[in-house]
Amino acid sequence: MDELDKKILNALQYDFPLSERPYQVLAEKLDIAVEELWNRVSRLMDEGVVRRIGASFDSGMFGFSSTLAAVSVPPEKVETAAAIIGEYPEVTHSYQRSDEFNIWFTIIAKSEGRIEQIIEQIRSALSLDKSQVLNLPVKRLFKLDARFRPQGGFMADEHRGDCRC
Amino acid sequence: MKEQQSGIEKRILAVIQEGLPGSRTPYDGMARRVGISTRKLLEILKQWKQQGKLRRIGAIVNHFKLGFSAGAMVVWKVEPQHVEEVGQMLAGFEQVSHAYERDTTDNWPYNLYTMVHAGSCEELLSTVKRMSKACGISQYKVLTTEKELKKVGPRYITQ
Repeated sequence: MDELDKKILNALQYDFPLSERPYQVLAEKLDIAVEELWNRVSRLMDEGVVRRIGASFDSGMFGFSSTLAAVSVPPEKVETAAAIIGEYPEVTHSYQRSDEFNIWFTIIAKSEGRIEQIIEQIRSALSLDKSQVLNLPVKRLFKLDARFRPQGGFMADEHRGDCRC
Repeated sequence: MKEQQSGIEKRILAVIQEGLPGSRTPYDGMARRVGISTRKLLEILKQWKQQGKLRRIGAIVNHFKLGFSAGAMVVWKVEPQHVEEVGQMLAGFEQVSHAYERDTTDNWPYNLYTMVHAGSCEELLSTVKRMSKACGISQYKVLTTEKELKKVGPRYITQ
């Protein structure tokens, strides 16, 4: 990954042009040929550095409900729990974290009722107590900016998972 | 008329939630799948952008591959009257990608949430210490990311 790749990654993460020829617009902004830009973007996608070009919505403005939920499961049940939770199309992210509440997941669904239903189904499938489940909807948003400036040199293929705090 | 409009909106959401096609003219492919012209699609997306319904279109990167190998959700217990001030302060750290206030429960007293990213574990922890010092909140917990179990784009339309 060279300097131009980094410049491209920065530009791609900001507002992707709403234009019939978005890469043409970006290439002009970066002052490079559109072929050069497209070749590099294709490569960054092939390498998995760019997962996809995606759109982020204010789901509430479209009438959807969302939440952050967590469950506390014994270590030997993490895999089963992850599979059960991951099966719901309404679950968009799920992570194993270093806490008594060890699986955290986000849900976007058509209503709060559906969210409660999903959480209840998961709780019952895992035979968990009510105290082993959290449902934590947002009250206020302070920042949402999942853009990352490429760091110097070091590239991890995945999370190292050796962080103990 | 109104109903027709929302039908188009629904179809756009259903198509765009999968991400833009990896082509040089991604909106053309999307518009075809929605069944409207590219111009119409761009017009609606621009309108959504203006209304704040569309936050951003852009690359979703694999941040581990960009050198952010350590990540954690740091949860803070903040007195209600200080949430606004502390939230703004923590959000100001460039290592923080997300900052939210959330409901609390009987068994979970933390009300402020920050996602923190760093190149190493040491760097992550020293950043969190600086954050704690800056906002004067000592009741916090670092929940490091041990494993990504699932990550897809938001699915709005699931039927």
